[in-house]
Amino acid sequence: MKKFVVFLAKSLAILILTMVLLDVIYTIVYMQSNSRSKIDYLYNSKDKNYDVVFLGSSRVNNHFVPRIFNEQGYKTFNFGITRSRLEESALMLEMMLERNYKIKTLVLQVDLNINTNDHSEAIRSLFMPYLHSSKTIRDFYRTIPEYNQLLYIPFYRYMHYDSRIGFRELFYAAVHKRTNALENDGFHPLLTNKRPMVPADLSNYYPKRNKGYEEIKAICKKNHIQLVAMTTPMCTETINRDYFNHLNEVYPEIRRFENAVTKDEYFSSCGHMNKDGAVEFTKIVFKTLFKSQNTP
Amino acid sequence: MFFNSFHFALFLPIVFMLYWFVGYKSKINQNYILILASYYFYSCWDWRFLFLLVFSTLLDYISAIQIEKSQTTTERKLWLWACITINLGFLGIFKYYNFFAQSFAEMAHSFGFTASPILLKLILPVGISFYTFHGLSYIIDIYYKRIKSERNFVDYSLFVSYFPLLVAGPIERATHLLPQLKIRRKFNFNKAQEGIYQIVWGLVKKVVIADSCSIYANEIFNHYTTLNSLSLILGSIYFAFQIYGDFSGYSDIALGASKLFGIDLLRNFNYPYFSRDIAEFWRRWHISLSSWFRDYLYIPLGGSKGNKLFQVRNTFLIFLVSGFWHGANWTYIAWGFINALYFLPLLLRNKNRKNIDDFKLGLNFDSFTTLANILMTFSLTCFAWIFFRAKTITDALLYIKRMLTNLHFNEEYFRIERYSHNLIPLVLFFVLVEWNNRHKIEPISGKYSWFKLSLCLAAIIALGVFSDYKEFIYFQF
Repeated sequence: MKKFVVFLAKSLAILILTMVLLDVIYTIVYMQSNSRSKIDYLYNSKDKNYDVVFLGSSRVNNHFVPRIFNEQGYKTFNFGITRSRLEESALMLEMMLERNYKIKTLVLQVDLNINTNDHSEAIRSLFMPYLHSSKTIRDFYRTIPEYNQLLYIPFYRYMHYDSRIGFRELFYAAVHKRTNALENDGFHPLLTNKRPMVPADLSNYYPKRNKGYEEIKAICKKNHIQLVAMTTPMCTETINRDYFNHLNEVYPEIRRFENAVTKDEYFSSCGHMNKDGAVEFTKIVFKTLFKSQNTP
Repeated sequence: MFFNSFHFALFLPIVFMLYWFVGYKSKINQNYILILASYYFYSCWDWRFLFLLVFSTLLDYISAIQIEKSQTTTERKLWLWACITINLGFLGIFKYYNFFAQSFAEMAHSFGFTASPILLKLILPVGISFYTFHGLSYIIDIYYKRIKSERNFVDYSLFVSYFPLLVAGPIERATHLLPQLKIRRKFNFNKAQEGIYQIVWGLVKKVVIADSCSIYANEIFNHYTTLNSLSLILGSIYFAFQIYGDFSGYSDIALGASKLFGIDLLRNFNYPYFSRDIAEFWRRWHISLSSWFRDYLYIPLGGSKGNKLFQVRNTFLIFLVSGFWHGANWTYIAWGFINALYFLPLLLRNKNRKNIDDFKLGLNFDSFTTLANILMTFSLTCFAWIFFRAKTITDALLYIKRMLTNLHFNEEYFRIERYSHNLIPLVLFFVLVEWNNRHKIEPISGKYSWFKLSLCLAAIIALGVFSDYKEFIYFQF
């Protein structure tokens, strides 16, 4: 039995060593990657100055065209990430400040995402490689249930989120395989139109006070960033458009743009505009909220 | 509590310590500890089904004694059939009632009648197919006087409920397991070490191979109507490795865990995908079930005695029952039927026991033929797996139709953000490892075992699927 206990102890030591070694390797690779996602780009950038930054989910990622702002003399970047919730947007904003970004205006999509206070596991996972190196990320996730395991068990974070930051992603990050996430200043156009268009059903959607949004408001106030919270377009067939009215009952400051674009030809699917729709919408937003800096 | 869960990773060492440090002095203590552990293990799924397990144990225990005590053949037969009927009755109600009721209603509908059967909302007790067959083999062995009935209820209870084999086999025989439970087990370092190696290798098969394959196989089978021929071929291959990794991985963990307690269980898999014909495949795949059907159904039916027509009938019956054992769905029956069709030419030409010897490969024509036969058998198996995996027979047929008629073989990018061919290197590497170690139970033992153990542990933590938790497929049967 003594021999077996020694054997088990050795096996356990090998396991722990392997986990430590793999954790180090994975973390080093991810720390050097800056072309796979907006989060690794953000982590590896510093001292950026932006007139306008867009934050939100795919309804930002696919809807705001920074080129239109840039042509009018604004320096902008679309930091919207598909599947991201307001919690992740709040963390991204905090990271921007940690990386010493100077931001004048933050355009934040606040519409369907305040139906829930939940987070996105898929996007949360992308922050995990930087858990040890970024105090902002550590502080942000200090209250989540698995925080201690994620922080103190070597490699646990890569196992827990293996579908997003596991071996496949590590391999692509190591060979510096680029994604299209950073092209077009972060704007990802949708080029196909799904037909017949299935109406979005918001019958079970109820706007609630949102922790992430409150946090973003507080950060913006503290750092003198002008915050523009707005809705983005949905197709006209959307069921229960009254949801947007209720939105203003909870947060009256939210600017309403869900009807800014209505023609079906501008929609890829009911909740997402195609490239033409995005251009049209960005122009409307610009005209309504901003002035050209090129004209004297 | 699954074998690949954190819960089990805590449970197993605790039971191990209690077993060897508290209960080591006597066989009675060892058996009590294992029974308590087994009942706790089973209650983690649903404690209510413990009553069913205890009832099944009591039924077989009493019936066996009564069969042995009976003075007349009629009385023996009565006890045997009463026990079989009650056992299969439970299995039938929980597993097959709704299937038969619905099939009857559909048949009535096709004849113009309307039938609205009462369907039961029952949860299938985990492992019921396994422990029912487990008990039946014991009763039938008693009836045929192959063994004496077990009078010690504790020992018998442990035989039925021993946790490594309780929920998904292997389906043990009283002649093999009971004698081991009748004596005090002494700790054996080599056996325990072998057990650890087998558990680790089982985990590689489950979390690295099966769970990775399942991501692709599920995507392909769920969206087969939009995919091309290459993706559909890959879908069936991925599923073949998913089910093999899943079930043989489970069996390896079960056998390995049991070795930690000094108890050997029956081997359930012997590298089935390296079989040279379908008969050999069935001697290597789910061996405990195949041999169960052979010993308790095929041979009592006459087996290979009698004329060819008789043999063909028996063969089809065995394969159909075997398919049906897996679940109440026509897809499993079709899978059994297809395997019977594969078997038929071998049976008719008396070649079903042609490939029972070992083989070695070299640079000669025989080796080429052997490899070709292995590939052919694997292809046939993959084709049959389509029926096993598909939701309905129609789905399986449409899948095959599209696979054979689409004829586009370019790589595809799936909705799961992966290319169809991404997994091929992993699967090929796994095949290579298995091929090089096909004469051993697991590939870790032997030379450089520490190095191989480290690689396996690294593979489990780095390549394993943890976020998208997958249950063992055979738990549903």
